[in-house]
Amino acid sequence: MTEQDGYNLRLYVAGQTPKSLNAIANLKKLCEKHLTGRYTIEVIDLMKDPALAQRDQIVAIPTLIRQLPEPLKRIIGDLSNAEKVLVGLDIAPT
Amino acid sequence: MPDKKTHLEDHLTAAPFQEAAETVEAIRHGKVDAIVVQGPNGPQVVVLQGAEEPYRVLVERMSDGAATIDNDGTVIFANNRLATMSGRAIGDLVGQNFGSLFAGGAPPLQPDVTAQAQLCCSGDKTLPVAVSASPLHIGETRATLITLADQTIHRQAIETANAERFARSILEQATDAIAVLGKDGVILHASAMADELAARPVAGELFMDAFPLQTGKEANAGVLARFSAESMNTLLATKPFHGVEVRMNSERMAHRTFLLSAGPLLNEEKTSIGSIVTLTEITDRKRAEEQQTMMVAELNHRVKNILAIVQSVAFQTTRNAASMQAFNDTFSGRIQAIAIAHDILTQTRWIGVGLRELVEKVLAPYRAEDRAISVEGPPILLPARSVMPLSMVVHELATNASKYGALSQPHGSLTIAWTMDAQKAIKLTWQESGGPAVGEPTGTGFGTKLIDRVITFDLEGEFQMDYAPTGITCTLTFPLKADISPDALPGSATRPH
Repeated sequence: MTEQDGYNLRLYVAGQTPKSLNAIANLKKLCEKHLTGRYTIEVIDLMKDPALAQRDQIVAIPTLIRQLPEPLKRIIGDLSNAEKVLVGLDIAPT
Repeated sequence: MPDKKTHLEDHLTAAPFQEAAETVEAIRHGKVDAIVVQGPNGPQVVVLQGAEEPYRVLVERMSDGAATIDNDGTVIFANNRLATMSGRAIGDLVGQNFGSLFAGGAPPLQPDVTAQAQLCCSGDKTLPVAVSASPLHIGETRATLITLADQTIHRQAIETANAERFARSILEQATDAIAVLGKDGVILHASAMADELAARPVAGELFMDAFPLQTGKEANAGVLARFSAESMNTLLATKPFHGVEVRMNSERMAHRTFLLSAGPLLNEEKTSIGSIVTLTEITDRKRAEEQQTMMVAELNHRVKNILAIVQSVAFQTTRNAASMQAFNDTFSGRIQAIAIAHDILTQTRWIGVGLRELVEKVLAPYRAEDRAISVEGPPILLPARSVMPLSMVVHELATNASKYGALSQPHGSLTIAWTMDAQKAIKLTWQESGGPAVGEPTGTGFGTKLIDRVITFDLEGEFQMDYAPTGITCTLTFPLKADISPDALPGSATRPH
Protein backbone atom coordinates (compact mmCIF):
# COMPACT_ATOMS: atom_id res chain seq x y z
CA MET A 1 0.00 0.00 0.00
CA THR A 2 1.46 3.31 -0.97
CA GLU A 3 0.58 6.58 0.55
CA GLN A 4 -0.94 7.66 -2.73
CA ASP A 5 -3.57 5.01 -3.17
CA GLY A 6 -3.96 3.91 0.49
CA TYR A 7 -7.04 4.85 2.53
CA ASN A 8 -6.45 5.93 6.08
CA LEU A 9 -9.82 5.98 7.84
CA ARG A 10 -10.77 7.04 11.35
CA LEU A 11 -14.17 6.08 12.80
CA TYR A 12 -15.53 7.86 15.85
CA VAL A 13 -18.01 5.82 17.92
CA ALA A 14 -19.75 6.18 21.30
CA GLY A 15 -19.33 2.91 23.19
CA GLN A 16 -21.70 0.25 21.99
CA THR A 17 -24.65 2.29 20.81
CA PRO A 18 -26.51 0.47 18.03
CA LYS A 19 -25.40 2.96 15.35
CA SER A 20 -21.79 2.79 16.50
CA LEU A 21 -21.80 -0.99 16.23
CA ASN A 22 -23.51 -0.80 12.82
CA ALA A 23 -21.01 1.74 11.56
CA ILE A 24 -18.02 -0.46 12.51
CA ALA A 25 -19.57 -3.49 10.83
CA ASN A 26 -20.61 -1.59 7.68
CA LEU A 27 -17.22 0.06 7.28
CA LYS A 28 -15.29 -3.18 7.60
CA LYS A 29 -17.57 -4.86 5.08
CA LEU A 30 -17.31 -2.04 2.61
CA CYS A 31 -13.50 -1.76 2.88
CA GLU A 32 -12.99 -5.48 2.45
CA LYS A 33 -15.09 -5.38 -0.69
CA HIS A 34 -13.83 -2.22 -2.36
CA LEU A 35 -10.44 -1.40 -0.80
CA THR A 36 -8.95 -4.81 -0.19
CA GLY A 37 -5.44 -4.41 1.14
CA ARG A 38 -5.51 -0.67 0.64
CA TYR A 39 -6.87 0.67 3.92
CA THR A 40 -6.34 1.10 7.61
CA ILE A 41 -9.16 1.77 10.09
CA GLU A 42 -8.74 3.44 13.46
CA VAL A 43 -11.79 3.14 15.71
CA ILE A 44 -11.97 5.83 18.40
CA ASP A 45 -14.41 5.38 21.27
CA LEU A 46 -15.38 8.83 22.52
CA MET A 47 -17.13 7.32 25.53
CA LYS A 48 -13.70 6.37 26.80
CA ASP A 49 -12.04 9.65 25.93
CA PRO A 50 -14.45 12.43 24.86
CA ALA A 51 -11.56 14.88 24.50
CA LEU A 52 -10.47 13.12 21.31
CA ALA A 53 -13.57 14.61 19.66
CA GLN A 54 -11.78 17.90 19.43
CA ARG A 55 -9.14 16.62 17.04
CA ASP A 56 -11.54 16.22 14.15
CA GLN A 57 -14.22 18.50 15.56
CA ILE A 58 -16.66 15.66 15.93
CA VAL A 59 -20.23 16.66 16.79
CA ALA A 60 -22.36 13.66 15.86
CA ILE A 61 -21.53 10.03 16.41
CA PRO A 62 -20.84 7.86 14.52
CA THR A 63 -18.67 9.92 12.15
CA LEU A 64 -16.14 8.59 9.65
CA ILE A 65 -13.13 10.76 8.71
CA ARG A 66 -11.09 10.03 5.61
CA GLN A 67 -7.64 11.26 6.52
CA LEU A 68 -5.91 9.91 3.46
CA PRO A 69 -5.98 10.32 0.63
CA GLU A 70 -6.46 14.03 1.03
CA PRO A 71 -8.55 16.06 1.16
CA LEU A 72 -10.04 15.16 4.51
CA LYS A 73 -13.62 13.98 4.15
CA ARG A 74 -16.34 13.44 6.70
CA ILE A 75 -19.35 11.11 6.61
CA ILE A 76 -21.90 11.19 9.38
CA GLY A 77 -24.13 8.20 10.22
CA ASP A 78 -23.95 4.44 10.49
CA LEU A 79 -22.67 4.00 6.91
CA SER A 80 -25.60 1.77 6.01
CA ASN A 81 -26.04 3.39 2.59
CA ALA A 82 -23.00 1.88 0.87
CA GLU A 83 -23.43 3.85 -2.35
CA LYS A 84 -23.44 7.14 -0.55
CA VAL A 85 -20.35 6.15 1.42
CA LEU A 86 -18.47 5.18 -1.73
CA VAL A 87 -19.32 8.53 -3.28
CA GLY A 88 -18.42 10.39 -0.12
CA LEU A 89 -15.03 8.71 0.08
CA ASP A 90 -14.37 8.99 -3.66
CA ILE A 91 -14.07 5.27 -4.11
CA ALA A 92 -14.96 3.89 -7.49
CA PRO A 93 -17.22 0.85 -7.10
CA THR A 94 -15.37 -2.32 -8.13
CA MET B 1 -31.05 20.68 28.21
CA PRO B 2 -30.62 24.34 27.26
CA ASP B 3 -26.83 24.36 27.75
CA LYS B 4 -26.27 21.50 25.36
CA LYS B 5 -28.41 23.06 22.69
CA THR B 6 -26.47 26.31 22.89
CA HIS B 7 -23.11 24.55 22.57
CA LEU B 8 -24.35 22.50 19.66
CA GLU B 9 -25.68 25.52 17.86
CA ASP B 10 -22.47 27.47 18.49
CA HIS B 11 -20.45 24.65 17.12
CA LEU B 12 -22.60 24.23 14.09
CA THR B 13 -22.51 27.91 13.19
CA ALA B 14 -18.73 27.86 13.53
CA ALA B 15 -18.30 24.83 11.24
CA PRO B 16 -18.36 25.11 7.50
CA PHE B 17 -21.92 25.43 6.36
CA GLN B 18 -22.18 22.14 4.47
CA GLU B 19 -20.79 20.09 7.30
CA ALA B 20 -23.11 21.76 9.74
CA ALA B 21 -26.06 21.11 7.51
CA GLU B 22 -25.08 17.50 7.14
CA THR B 23 -24.76 17.09 10.89
CA VAL B 24 -28.15 18.61 11.56
CA GLU B 25 -29.67 16.49 8.82
CA ALA B 26 -28.08 13.35 10.25
CA ILE B 27 -29.38 14.08 13.71
CA ARG B 28 -32.82 14.91 12.37
CA HIS B 29 -33.05 11.69 10.41
CA GLY B 30 -31.80 9.59 13.29
CA LYS B 31 -28.56 8.57 11.53
CA VAL B 32 -26.60 9.20 14.67
CA ASP B 33 -27.34 8.13 18.22
CA ALA B 34 -24.80 10.19 20.15
CA ILE B 35 -23.55 13.75 20.02
CA VAL B 36 -20.59 15.55 21.52
CA VAL B 37 -21.38 18.64 23.53
CA GLN B 38 -19.18 21.01 25.44
CA GLY B 39 -19.62 20.41 29.11
CA PRO B 40 -18.06 22.37 31.96
CA ASN B 41 -15.11 19.95 31.94
CA GLY B 42 -14.59 19.73 28.19
CA PRO B 43 -16.30 17.67 25.51
CA GLN B 44 -18.93 15.17 26.67
CA VAL B 45 -20.75 12.44 24.80
CA VAL B 46 -24.54 12.43 25.11
CA VAL B 47 -26.33 9.34 23.94
CA LEU B 48 -29.55 10.29 22.20
CA GLN B 49 -32.91 8.73 22.89
CA GLY B 50 -33.22 5.31 21.32
CA ALA B 51 -29.64 4.37 21.90
CA GLU B 52 -30.47 2.95 25.26
CA GLU B 53 -32.80 0.42 23.64
CA PRO B 54 -30.89 -2.64 24.83
CA TYR B 55 -30.98 -1.28 28.36
CA ARG B 56 -34.65 -0.51 28.01
CA VAL B 57 -35.31 -4.10 26.91
CA LEU B 58 -33.31 -5.31 29.86
CA VAL B 59 -35.24 -3.13 32.27
CA GLU B 60 -38.52 -4.24 30.71
CA ARG B 61 -37.64 -7.86 31.24
CA MET B 62 -36.53 -7.47 34.81
CA SER B 63 -38.47 -9.51 37.31
CA ASP B 64 -38.40 -6.47 39.61
CA GLY B 65 -40.31 -3.25 39.14
CA ALA B 66 -38.18 -0.33 37.88
CA ALA B 67 -38.75 3.40 37.52
CA THR B 68 -36.68 6.44 36.70
CA ILE B 69 -37.45 9.63 38.56
CA ASP B 70 -36.08 13.10 37.92
CA ASN B 71 -34.68 15.49 40.47
CA ASP B 72 -38.15 16.70 41.35
CA GLY B 73 -39.28 13.19 42.20
CA THR B 74 -41.49 12.83 39.15
CA VAL B 75 -41.69 9.42 37.51
CA ILE B 76 -40.33 9.75 33.97
CA PHE B 77 -40.17 6.04 33.20
CA ALA B 78 -41.77 2.88 34.60
CA ASN B 79 -41.39 -0.70 33.39
CA ASN B 80 -44.15 -3.24 32.75
CA ARG B 81 -43.41 -5.15 35.92
CA LEU B 82 -44.00 -2.06 38.06
CA ALA B 83 -47.28 -1.50 36.22
CA THR B 84 -48.28 -5.11 37.00
CA MET B 85 -47.24 -4.84 40.64
CA SER B 86 -49.17 -1.63 41.20
CA GLY B 87 -52.11 -2.66 39.02
CA ARG B 88 -51.87 0.61 37.05
CA ALA B 89 -51.01 1.41 33.43
CA ILE B 90 -47.50 2.68 32.66
CA GLY B 91 -49.10 5.86 31.31
CA ASP B 92 -50.73 6.43 34.71
CA LEU B 93 -47.46 6.03 36.54
CA VAL B 94 -45.39 8.38 34.36
CA GLY B 95 -45.79 11.96 35.52
CA GLN B 96 -46.85 10.95 39.06
CA ASN B 97 -44.93 12.05 42.09
CA PHE B 98 -42.89 9.03 43.17
CA GLY B 99 -43.93 9.38 46.81
CA SER B 100 -47.60 9.18 45.87
CA LEU B 101 -47.08 5.59 44.72
CA PHE B 102 -46.59 4.46 48.31
CA ALA B 103 -48.82 4.18 51.34
CA GLY B 104 -47.04 6.34 53.91
CA GLY B 105 -44.96 8.39 51.47
CA ALA B 106 -41.74 7.81 49.57
CA PRO B 107 -39.18 5.51 51.15
CA PRO B 108 -35.74 7.05 51.79
CA LEU B 109 -33.68 6.85 48.59
CA GLN B 110 -29.99 6.41 49.24
CA PRO B 111 -27.53 4.61 47.02
CA ASP B 112 -26.82 1.03 48.12
CA VAL B 113 -29.50 1.14 50.83
CA THR B 114 -32.58 -1.02 50.54
CA ALA B 115 -35.71 0.37 52.18
CA GLN B 116 -38.96 -1.43 52.95
CA ALA B 117 -42.16 0.22 51.72
CA GLN B 118 -45.78 -0.50 50.91
CA LEU B 119 -46.60 0.02 47.23
CA CYS B 120 -50.19 1.17 46.62
CA CYS B 121 -52.08 -1.27 44.40
CA SER B 122 -55.47 -1.11 42.80
CA GLY B 123 -58.40 -1.77 45.12
CA ASP B 124 -56.80 -0.02 48.14
CA LYS B 125 -54.40 -2.89 48.61
CA THR B 126 -50.71 -2.59 49.30
CA LEU B 127 -47.79 -4.75 48.33
CA PRO B 128 -44.66 -5.02 50.50
CA VAL B 129 -41.62 -4.05 48.41
CA ALA B 130 -37.90 -3.58 48.93
CA VAL B 131 -36.89 -0.30 47.29
CA SER B 132 -33.35 0.47 46.20
CA ALA B 133 -32.06 3.50 44.31
CA SER B 134 -29.02 4.25 42.21
CA PRO B 135 -28.07 7.62 40.74
CA LEU B 136 -28.26 7.96 36.98
CA HIS B 137 -26.73 10.60 34.72
CA ILE B 138 -28.39 11.34 31.41
CA GLY B 139 -25.88 13.75 30.00
CA GLU B 140 -25.83 16.45 32.59
CA THR B 141 -29.28 15.62 33.84
CA ARG B 142 -29.30 13.79 37.12
CA ALA B 143 -31.97 11.21 37.69
CA THR B 144 -32.49 8.21 39.95
CA LEU B 145 -33.13 4.64 38.90
CA ILE B 146 -35.40 2.88 41.37
CA THR B 147 -35.93 -0.86 41.60
CA LEU B 148 -38.77 -2.40 43.58
CA ALA B 149 -38.60 -6.06 44.58
CA ASP B 150 -41.87 -7.80 45.46
CA GLN B 151 -41.33 -9.01 49.02
CA THR B 152 -44.13 -11.56 48.84
CA ILE B 153 -42.08 -13.42 46.22
CA HIS B 154 -39.08 -13.08 48.49
CA ARG B 155 -41.12 -14.42 51.39
CA GLN B 156 -42.33 -17.31 49.25
CA ALA B 157 -38.71 -18.08 48.45
CA ILE B 158 -37.92 -18.09 52.16
CA GLU B 159 -40.95 -20.28 52.84
CA THR B 160 -39.88 -22.68 50.07
CA ALA B 161 -36.38 -22.79 51.52
CA ASN B 162 -37.82 -23.42 54.99
CA ALA B 163 -40.08 -26.16 53.62
CA GLU B 164 -37.08 -27.73 51.94
CA ARG B 165 -35.10 -27.58 55.18
CA PHE B 166 -38.08 -29.06 57.04
CA ALA B 167 -38.42 -31.91 54.52
CA ARG B 168 -34.71 -32.55 54.72
CA SER B 169 -34.79 -32.74 58.51
CA ILE B 170 -37.69 -35.22 58.31
CA LEU B 171 -35.63 -37.36 55.97
CA GLU B 172 -32.65 -37.10 58.31
CA GLN B 173 -34.53 -38.02 61.46
CA ALA B 174 -37.15 -40.46 60.17
CA THR B 175 -36.99 -43.85 61.85
CA ASP B 176 -38.19 -45.44 58.62
CA ALA B 177 -36.08 -45.85 55.51
CA ILE B 178 -37.41 -43.25 53.08
CA ALA B 179 -36.27 -42.86 49.48
CA VAL B 180 -37.37 -40.24 47.00
CA LEU B 181 -37.38 -41.75 43.51
CA GLY B 182 -37.28 -40.10 40.11
CA LYS B 183 -39.60 -41.47 37.43
CA ASP B 184 -36.89 -43.89 36.28
CA GLY B 185 -36.65 -45.43 39.75
CA VAL B 186 -33.33 -43.81 40.62
CA ILE B 187 -33.03 -42.68 44.25
CA LEU B 188 -32.76 -38.87 44.37
CA HIS B 189 -32.75 -38.46 48.15
CA ALA B 190 -32.62 -41.00 50.95
CA SER B 191 -33.18 -40.79 54.69
CA ALA B 192 -30.32 -41.50 57.06
CA MET B 193 -32.12 -44.73 57.98
CA ALA B 194 -32.24 -45.80 54.31
CA ASP B 195 -28.49 -45.34 54.01
CA GLU B 196 -28.02 -47.24 57.25
CA LEU B 197 -30.23 -50.10 56.06
CA ALA B 198 -28.28 -50.47 52.82
CA ALA B 199 -25.00 -49.85 54.71
CA ARG B 200 -23.98 -47.22 52.14
CA PRO B 201 -25.23 -43.92 50.72
CA VAL B 202 -27.87 -44.97 48.19
CA ALA B 203 -28.65 -41.71 46.37
CA GLY B 204 -28.03 -42.20 42.65
CA GLU B 205 -28.68 -45.95 42.70
CA LEU B 206 -31.71 -47.73 41.25
CA PHE B 207 -34.06 -48.59 44.11
CA MET B 208 -33.92 -52.33 43.43
CA ASP B 209 -30.10 -52.25 43.43
CA ALA B 210 -30.08 -50.62 46.85
CA PHE B 211 -33.01 -52.62 48.27
CA PRO B 212 -33.39 -55.92 46.37
CA LEU B 213 -37.00 -56.80 47.13
CA GLN B 214 -38.11 -60.39 46.69
CA THR B 215 -40.41 -60.60 43.72
CA GLY B 216 -41.84 -63.09 41.21
CA LYS B 217 -41.47 -66.75 42.18
CA GLU B 218 -39.13 -66.15 45.12
CA ALA B 219 -40.10 -67.71 48.44
CA ASN B 220 -41.27 -64.63 50.34
CA ALA B 221 -42.41 -62.46 47.44
CA GLY B 222 -45.99 -62.21 48.78
CA VAL B 223 -47.91 -59.48 46.97
CA LEU B 224 -44.87 -58.76 44.78
CA ALA B 225 -45.12 -62.27 43.29
CA ARG B 226 -47.03 -60.67 40.42
CA PHE B 227 -44.07 -58.49 39.42
CA SER B 228 -40.62 -59.00 38.01
CA ALA B 229 -37.56 -57.47 39.65
CA GLU B 230 -36.87 -55.43 36.49
CA SER B 231 -40.32 -53.83 36.49
CA MET B 232 -40.19 -52.86 40.17
CA ASN B 233 -38.08 -49.69 39.72
CA THR B 234 -40.60 -48.14 37.36
CA LEU B 235 -43.59 -49.50 39.29
CA LEU B 236 -42.41 -48.01 42.57
CA ALA B 237 -41.80 -44.67 40.86
CA THR B 238 -45.21 -44.53 39.23
CA LYS B 239 -47.73 -46.72 41.08
CA PRO B 240 -48.95 -46.44 44.66
CA PHE B 241 -48.27 -49.27 47.13
CA HIS B 242 -49.85 -49.36 50.58
CA GLY B 243 -48.31 -51.38 53.39
CA VAL B 244 -47.14 -54.33 51.33
CA GLU B 245 -45.19 -56.86 53.37
CA VAL B 246 -41.82 -57.49 51.71
CA ARG B 247 -38.53 -59.27 52.26
CA MET B 248 -35.20 -58.77 50.59
CA ASN B 249 -32.69 -60.76 48.61
CA SER B 250 -29.80 -59.70 50.73
CA GLU B 251 -27.79 -61.72 53.16
CA ARG B 252 -27.84 -58.90 55.70
CA MET B 253 -31.57 -58.35 55.44
CA ALA B 254 -32.73 -61.91 54.72
CA HIS B 255 -34.46 -62.48 58.06
CA ARG B 256 -36.04 -59.07 58.30
CA THR B 257 -39.56 -58.14 57.24
CA PHE B 258 -40.56 -54.68 55.99
CA LEU B 259 -43.73 -52.84 55.11
CA LEU B 260 -43.36 -51.16 51.73
CA SER B 261 -45.38 -48.07 50.84
CA ALA B 262 -45.03 -45.81 47.83
CA GLY B 263 -46.91 -42.69 46.85
CA PRO B 264 -46.52 -40.08 44.13
CA LEU B 265 -44.27 -37.04 44.56
CA LEU B 266 -46.16 -34.08 43.14
CA ASN B 267 -44.80 -30.78 41.86
CA GLU B 268 -46.55 -27.40 42.15
CA GLU B 269 -48.78 -28.28 39.17
CA LYS B 270 -49.85 -31.45 41.00
CA THR B 271 -48.24 -33.68 38.40
CA SER B 272 -46.23 -36.66 39.51
CA ILE B 273 -42.49 -36.22 39.14
CA GLY B 274 -41.53 -39.41 40.96
CA SER B 275 -42.45 -41.11 44.20
CA ILE B 276 -41.71 -41.37 47.88
CA VAL B 277 -41.00 -44.93 48.99
CA THR B 278 -41.03 -45.96 52.65
CA LEU B 279 -39.66 -49.17 54.12
CA THR B 280 -40.78 -49.77 57.71
CA GLU B 281 -39.14 -52.64 59.50
CA ILE B 282 -41.72 -54.89 61.15
CA THR B 283 -39.49 -57.85 62.00
CA ASP B 284 -40.13 -57.52 65.76
CA ARG B 285 -43.83 -56.85 65.31
CA LYS B 286 -44.07 -59.83 62.98
CA ARG B 287 -42.27 -62.05 65.47
CA ALA B 288 -44.59 -60.89 68.28
CA GLU B 289 -47.61 -61.58 66.09
CA GLU B 290 -46.37 -65.08 65.34
CA GLN B 291 -45.72 -65.69 69.03
CA GLN B 292 -49.17 -64.46 69.90
CA THR B 293 -50.79 -66.70 67.29
CA MET B 294 -48.82 -69.61 68.69
CA MET B 295 -49.83 -68.78 72.24
CA VAL B 296 -53.50 -68.54 71.35
CA ALA B 297 -53.28 -71.97 69.67
CA GLU B 298 -51.47 -73.34 72.73
CA LEU B 299 -54.08 -71.88 75.07
CA ASN B 300 -56.91 -73.41 73.04
CA HIS B 301 -55.15 -76.71 73.18
CA ARG B 302 -54.67 -76.52 76.95
CA VAL B 303 -58.25 -75.52 77.60
CA LYS B 304 -59.31 -78.51 75.53
CA ASN B 305 -56.97 -80.74 77.55
CA ILE B 306 -58.31 -79.52 80.86
CA LEU B 307 -61.90 -79.99 79.75
CA ALA B 308 -61.03 -83.53 78.69
CA ILE B 309 -59.42 -84.21 82.06
CA VAL B 310 -62.36 -82.69 83.98
CA GLN B 311 -64.79 -84.72 81.89
CA SER B 312 -62.85 -87.90 82.53
CA VAL B 313 -62.52 -87.23 86.26
CA ALA B 314 -66.23 -86.36 86.53
CA PHE B 315 -67.22 -89.51 84.68
CA GLN B 316 -65.10 -91.77 86.84
CA THR B 317 -66.03 -90.05 90.09
CA THR B 318 -69.72 -90.55 89.26
CA ARG B 319 -69.19 -94.26 88.68
CA ASN B 320 -67.60 -94.72 92.11
CA ALA B 321 -69.57 -92.27 94.25
CA ALA B 322 -72.04 -93.73 96.72
CA SER B 323 -74.03 -90.54 97.12
CA MET B 324 -74.36 -87.09 95.63
CA GLN B 325 -72.55 -85.62 98.64
CA ALA B 326 -69.69 -88.09 98.23
CA PHE B 327 -69.46 -87.22 94.53
CA ASN B 328 -69.43 -83.55 95.39
CA ASP B 329 -66.59 -83.86 97.93
CA THR B 330 -64.43 -86.09 95.82
CA PHE B 331 -64.99 -84.20 92.60
CA SER B 332 -64.25 -80.79 94.18
CA GLY B 333 -61.03 -82.16 95.69
CA ARG B 334 -59.90 -83.51 92.36
CA ILE B 335 -60.77 -80.31 90.52
CA GLN B 336 -58.89 -78.44 93.26
CA ALA B 337 -55.78 -80.49 92.47
CA ILE B 338 -56.11 -79.58 88.81
CA ALA B 339 -56.61 -75.91 89.75
CA ILE B 340 -53.51 -75.88 91.97
CA ALA B 341 -51.43 -77.37 89.18
CA HIS B 342 -52.87 -74.86 86.74
CA ASP B 343 -52.16 -71.94 89.07
CA ILE B 344 -48.56 -73.00 89.49
CA LEU B 345 -48.14 -73.43 85.74
CA THR B 346 -49.64 -70.02 85.03
CA GLN B 347 -47.37 -68.40 87.59
CA THR B 348 -44.33 -70.02 86.05
CA ARG B 349 -45.62 -69.26 82.52
CA TRP B 350 -45.86 -72.96 81.74
CA ILE B 351 -42.12 -73.36 81.93
CA GLY B 352 -42.45 -75.95 84.70
CA VAL B 353 -42.23 -76.06 88.46
CA GLY B 354 -40.08 -77.54 91.23
CA LEU B 355 -41.24 -80.94 92.43
CA ARG B 356 -41.01 -79.82 96.08
CA GLU B 357 -43.11 -76.72 95.43
CA LEU B 358 -45.80 -78.79 93.77
CA VAL B 359 -45.94 -81.39 96.56
CA GLU B 360 -46.00 -78.70 99.28
CA LYS B 361 -48.84 -76.83 97.55
CA VAL B 362 -51.00 -79.87 97.13
CA LEU B 363 -50.39 -81.02 100.72
CA ALA B 364 -50.90 -77.61 102.28
CA PRO B 365 -54.59 -78.21 103.25
CA TYR B 366 -53.58 -81.41 105.06
CA ARG B 367 -50.87 -79.93 107.23
CA ALA B 368 -51.68 -79.63 110.90
CA GLU B 369 -49.56 -79.17 114.04
CA ASP B 370 -49.95 -82.71 115.21
CA ARG B 371 -49.14 -84.25 111.86
CA ALA B 372 -45.59 -84.88 110.78
CA ILE B 373 -45.31 -84.44 107.06
CA SER B 374 -41.82 -84.40 105.66
CA VAL B 375 -40.85 -83.73 102.09
CA GLU B 376 -37.32 -84.70 101.06
CA GLY B 377 -35.44 -84.91 97.78
CA PRO B 378 -33.08 -83.08 95.46
CA PRO B 379 -34.39 -80.06 93.57
CA ILE B 380 -36.04 -81.18 90.34
CA LEU B 381 -37.74 -78.97 87.80
CA LEU B 382 -40.80 -80.75 86.52
CA PRO B 383 -41.73 -80.02 82.93
CA ALA B 384 -45.13 -78.37 82.50
CA ARG B 385 -46.53 -81.53 81.06
CA SER B 386 -45.89 -83.56 84.23
CA VAL B 387 -47.27 -81.01 86.68
CA MET B 388 -50.98 -81.67 86.37
CA PRO B 389 -50.80 -85.51 86.46
CA LEU B 390 -48.46 -85.48 89.43
CA SER B 391 -50.64 -82.95 91.23
CA MET B 392 -53.61 -85.26 90.78
CA VAL B 393 -51.66 -88.30 92.01
CA VAL B 394 -50.44 -86.51 95.14
CA HIS B 395 -53.96 -85.22 95.77
CA GLU B 396 -55.43 -88.72 95.48
CA LEU B 397 -52.87 -90.16 97.88
CA ALA B 398 -53.39 -87.32 100.37
CA THR B 399 -57.18 -87.65 100.23
CA ASN B 400 -56.88 -91.34 100.79
CA ALA B 401 -54.50 -90.80 103.74
CA SER B 402 -56.83 -88.26 105.30
CA LYS B 403 -59.79 -90.61 105.03
CA TYR B 404 -58.28 -93.97 105.89
CA GLY B 405 -54.53 -93.60 106.47
CA ALA B 406 -51.91 -91.74 108.50
CA LEU B 407 -53.52 -88.32 108.09
CA SER B 408 -56.82 -89.54 109.58
CA GLN B 409 -55.20 -89.83 113.04
CA PRO B 410 -53.82 -87.09 115.27
CA HIS B 411 -50.29 -88.52 115.41
CA GLY B 412 -49.95 -90.02 111.98
CA SER B 413 -46.89 -89.20 109.94
CA LEU B 414 -46.15 -89.02 106.25
CA THR B 415 -42.83 -88.98 104.41
CA ILE B 416 -42.52 -88.09 100.78
CA ALA B 417 -39.04 -88.59 99.36
CA TRP B 418 -37.61 -88.80 95.88
CA THR B 419 -34.39 -89.50 94.05
CA MET B 420 -33.33 -89.22 90.45
CA ASP B 421 -30.90 -91.56 88.70
CA ALA B 422 -28.47 -90.89 85.87
CA GLN B 423 -31.15 -91.68 83.26
CA LYS B 424 -33.30 -88.98 84.81
CA ALA B 425 -35.80 -91.48 86.14
CA ILE B 426 -37.53 -90.18 89.25
CA LYS B 427 -38.44 -92.52 92.05
CA LEU B 428 -40.93 -90.99 94.48
CA THR B 429 -41.89 -92.80 97.66
CA TRP B 430 -45.00 -91.99 99.66
CA GLN B 431 -44.78 -93.61 103.07
CA GLU B 432 -47.40 -93.42 105.81
CA SER B 433 -47.16 -94.51 109.43
CA GLY B 434 -49.00 -94.00 112.72
CA GLY B 435 -52.37 -94.40 111.13
CA PRO B 436 -54.98 -97.13 111.70
CA ALA B 437 -53.89 -100.66 110.93
CA VAL B 438 -53.82 -101.27 107.23
CA GLY B 439 -55.27 -104.31 105.55
CA GLU B 440 -55.23 -105.40 101.92
CA PRO B 441 -58.11 -103.59 100.15
CA THR B 442 -61.02 -105.68 99.04
CA GLY B 443 -61.46 -103.93 95.66
CA THR B 444 -59.76 -101.28 93.62
CA GLY B 445 -61.21 -97.80 94.34
CA PHE B 446 -61.29 -95.07 91.81
CA GLY B 447 -58.42 -93.27 93.57
CA THR B 448 -56.13 -96.18 92.92
CA LYS B 449 -57.39 -96.54 89.37
CA LEU B 450 -56.85 -92.85 88.72
CA ILE B 451 -53.31 -93.00 90.07
CA ASP B 452 -52.60 -96.05 87.97
CA ARG B 453 -53.92 -94.47 84.80
CA VAL B 454 -52.19 -91.16 85.32
CA ILE B 455 -48.83 -92.75 86.16
CA THR B 456 -49.02 -95.19 83.29
CA PHE B 457 -50.37 -93.00 80.54
CA ASP B 458 -49.50 -89.41 81.43
CA LEU B 459 -46.18 -89.85 83.19
CA GLU B 460 -45.27 -93.02 81.29
CA GLY B 461 -44.08 -94.54 84.53
CA GLU B 462 -44.91 -97.30 87.02
CA PHE B 463 -46.85 -97.44 90.25
CA GLN B 464 -46.63 -99.85 93.14
CA MET B 465 -48.66 -100.06 96.36
CA ASP B 466 -47.54 -101.87 99.47
CA TYR B 467 -50.20 -102.34 102.13
CA ALA B 468 -48.04 -103.00 105.21
CA PRO B 469 -50.05 -103.07 108.48
CA THR B 470 -48.11 -100.03 109.84
CA GLY B 471 -49.04 -97.92 106.87
CA ILE B 472 -49.10 -97.91 103.09
CA THR B 473 -46.08 -97.28 100.95
CA CYS B 474 -46.62 -96.11 97.43
CA THR B 475 -43.71 -95.99 94.99
CA LEU B 476 -43.94 -94.03 91.75
CA THR B 477 -41.27 -94.32 89.09
CA PHE B 478 -41.42 -92.07 86.04
CA PRO B 479 -38.94 -90.51 83.62
CA LEU B 480 -38.28 -86.78 83.73
CA LYS B 481 -39.22 -85.96 80.16
CA ALA B 482 -39.17 -82.42 78.94
CA ASP B 483 -39.86 -83.33 75.37
CA ILE B 484 -43.28 -84.81 75.72
CA SER B 485 -45.29 -83.44 72.83
CA PRO B 486 -47.48 -80.61 74.10
CA ASP B 487 -49.95 -81.21 71.30
CA ALA B 488 -51.08 -84.58 72.56
CA LEU B 489 -54.03 -84.82 74.91
CA PRO B 490 -53.18 -86.41 78.26
CA GLY B 491 -53.28 -90.17 77.87
CA SER B 492 -55.44 -90.64 80.98
CA ALA B 493 -58.16 -88.55 79.38
CA THR B 494 -58.14 -90.24 75.98
CA ARG B 495 -57.53 -93.88 76.78
CA PRO B 496 -60.67 -96.04 77.23
CA HIS B 497 -61.74 -96.18 80.87
